[in-house]
Amino acid sequence: MNRLNPTVPADQYLADSNVLFYLNDAVIQLLEHKEEYNQFGVIRYFAEYFSSVKNSNHVLFREFNYIQATPHNRASFIRVFWKCYRQIGKSGDLLSMLEYRSLLQLLCPDFPVVLVQSAARIAVMDDTIDCLMSFSDFLYAFQLQFYYQEFLDCVLVIYQDLLAEENNKEERPQDGVEPSTLVQCIDALCDRSKHSHPPRSCMREILNQTDRISYYSFLMSLAKQEAINQTIGVLPSKAELLIDPEMDQELDKLIAQIVVSPSSNSSSSAVGGLKEVQKKASPRRNIHHRRRMEVESDGSTEETDSSEN
Amino acid sequence: MADKEKRRSGVNPPGMPAGKATKSDSDREFLSQAGVGDLLRGAILKMVEARSDDPIGFLADHFCNLASVTAAGSGGCGDEEQVNTGTVSAGAQEQQRLNRALWHLRLAHHSQRSAFSNNVRVAYDLLNLTGPQTCAGEFSEGPDGPCTDSPAGGGGVRGGLYTQTLQCLCSEGGVPASTSAPLLRRLHCHDHEAVPYDVFRHGVLTCAVFSDYIRQAQRLYAEVCCPGEGTASRALCLAVLGTLKEALETSQGSDTNYCANANTKVNSCPEANVKAIRYLEASAKISPCKLAQAMAGAQTQGPGGNMDAKEFENAAAELFITRVKVVS
Repeated sequence: MNRLNPTVPADQYLADSNVLFYLNDAVIQLLEHKEEYNQFGVIRYFAEYFSSVKNSNHVLFREFNYIQATPHNRASFIRVFWKCYRQIGKSGDLLSMLEYRSLLQLLCPDFPVVLVQSAARIAVMDDTIDCLMSFSDFLYAFQLQFYYQEFLDCVLVIYQDLLAEENNKEERPQDGVEPSTLVQCIDALCDRSKHSHPPRSCMREILNQTDRISYYSFLMSLAKQEAINQTIGVLPSKAELLIDPEMDQELDKLIAQIVVSPSSNSSSSAVGGLKEVQKKASPRRNIHHRRRMEVESDGSTEETDSSEN
Repeated sequence: MADKEKRRSGVNPPGMPAGKATKSDSDREFLSQAGVGDLLRGAILKMVEARSDDPIGFLADHFCNLASVTAAGSGGCGDEEQVNTGTVSAGAQEQQRLNRALWHLRLAHHSQRSAFSNNVRVAYDLLNLTGPQTCAGEFSEGPDGPCTDSPAGGGGVRGGLYTQTLQCLCSEGGVPASTSAPLLRRLHCHDHEAVPYDVFRHGVLTCAVFSDYIRQAQRLYAEVCCPGEGTASRALCLAVLGTLKEALETSQGSDTNYCANANTKVNSCPEANVKAIRYLEASAKISPCKLAQAMAGAQTQGPGGNMDAKEFENAAAELFITRVKVVS
C-alpha cells in the first residue's frame, strides 16, 4: 500500500503507472474485435488484457511503438526475447547482427534495425558490427540499449562533446575522455532527465576504475553489470541464463511435431523411430540449425508456422 | 483514434470521411452499449483510492473479480464458463462470498478511514445473507453496487464466517497463525452467534492494524539483529519492546478505542486534537533517537543472551493483544 505517500496527486499516480496508456490500448484492441464481445465478455476481456500485462505476456507480436512505449513493456519484451531464444545460447552458436534482428522481427514485425545495430556495437565494442556475437553478449547489450535508450542517446551526445573538447586541446586524437568529467556530466544529466537511467552508483563505479574511458567500453561494462540487470529485473544472471528445464521438455515435444510436419523431409518415417534417432544425435542442435537456415535464407516463417499447427 | 486507423491499414486513403464517420459512430455505440465508460471510470476510481504499489496488478485483480462476480450473478450467461448458481453448493457459495468480501476489505488501507469504512460496509452486507441465495437480485444495479437493502438480509454475519474473515485478514497481512491466535481468541464469535455490524467492523479494523503492527515489529527486529547471526541480543530486544509498549500506552490503544465509536464518522474537534497529540507522542517514542537512547541504555546493562525473531514477534504481539477488548 502506498499509504506513506498520501500526498501523491491522482494525476501523478496515474501518469507514473502508465495505466491510461494501457487502458487506451485495451479499448483500441477491443474495438478491433468488437464483433466477438458481448456485454459480459467485455469485463472478461479487460481482465485478460490486464492479466497479460501483469504477467508480461502482452508484448508478443505487437508493433514496435507499443513495445517501446513503457518501461514495463520494454522489460517484458526483453524477457520474451530471452525466453524464446535461449536455446541458441545453449547450442553455443554465434550469430550476426542481422540474424539477431531477424529473430527480433519474428517477435515484433517492425523492429527497427538501428536499435539492433546500437546493441551490437555495445556487444562487440567496435565499429565493425559484422562480428558474430554470442547470445548472452548480445542479450545483455540489447537489454541495456533498449531499456535505457533515451538516456544512452543523451550520454552519447555528452561524450561526443567532451571528446571534441579534448581533441581541441590535445595534438593527437584521444581514445576516450576523462572519466571524472564524464561522471559529473552524467550526474547532471540524471538530475534533469525524466527518462529512466541506470543506478548512479553503478555508473560511478565503472568510471572510477579507469583513467580514460570510451563510450562503448563504458556501455559494455554497464551491460555486464549484474546490479543493473537486477534493477531491470527480468533476466537472470549470466550463469543462469541458459537454465530452462521446462523448455527442454517443450523442445522434445516440438521435435516430434517437426518430424511429422509436411514440409519436413522425413515425413514418411515412423515418428517413434525417428524421434529416437533424433534424440541420440543431439536434437537441440538440429532444431537450431533448422532455425538458422530459415533465418539466413529469407527470414520467412513458413517452417515455424507449420510446426505450430 | 488516429492510432487505430494507422494500425488497421498501413495507408490512410485521403478521401474517406463518410467511411470513417460510421466506423467511429459504431465504435462509440458499441462502447456505450457495453458500458465500457462506466466500467473504466469505476476501475480508475478504485485504483486511485487504493494507491496500490502495483497498479497494473490491482487492475488485473479488479477486473478478474468483477468478471467472476458478474458471471455468478447472471447465472452463467452467454459464453461465460462459470458454474450455474443452482448447482453450486451452499458451502462453495459462501466461500465465494467470503473471497469477494476479503477482496473488498483489501482495497483500501485502514488509515484511509472513509474508504475503509465503506469497504467494510460492503463486505458486511455481502456476508450478511442467510441461506443459499441466487446472487442475481442484489447485483442488478451494477457489479459493485452495495446492497443497501439486502433482500433476505439476516440479523448479522454468521459467527463462523466472521471468524474466518478475521483469520484470512491476519494471514494475508503476513501474520503467522500462531501469532494471531491469541488475538483471534479475543475477537472471535461462536458459530451460532449473529455478528452485528459494530462488532464486525471492530474485528476487521483490529486485525488490519494488528497486521501492520506485526510487520512493523518484524522490521524493527530486522534492524536490531546482527546480519550474519539471525538473532539479536536480548537486552536490545527488550529495549525495543519497551519503546513499543510506551508508544502503545501513549496512544492509549486509540485504534481499538476508536472502534467502540464505530458509528461516529466525524470526530468533534477537541477530541480530534487530543488524538493527534497522542499520535505524535507515540511516534516520538518510536522515533530513531528515542530508540537509539533505549538501545544505548540496554547495552550497558540488562540480561544477556539472545532473542530470536519468533520470540520477539510473540512478545510484540502480546503487547498489542493485551489492549484489545474481548468480544463478549
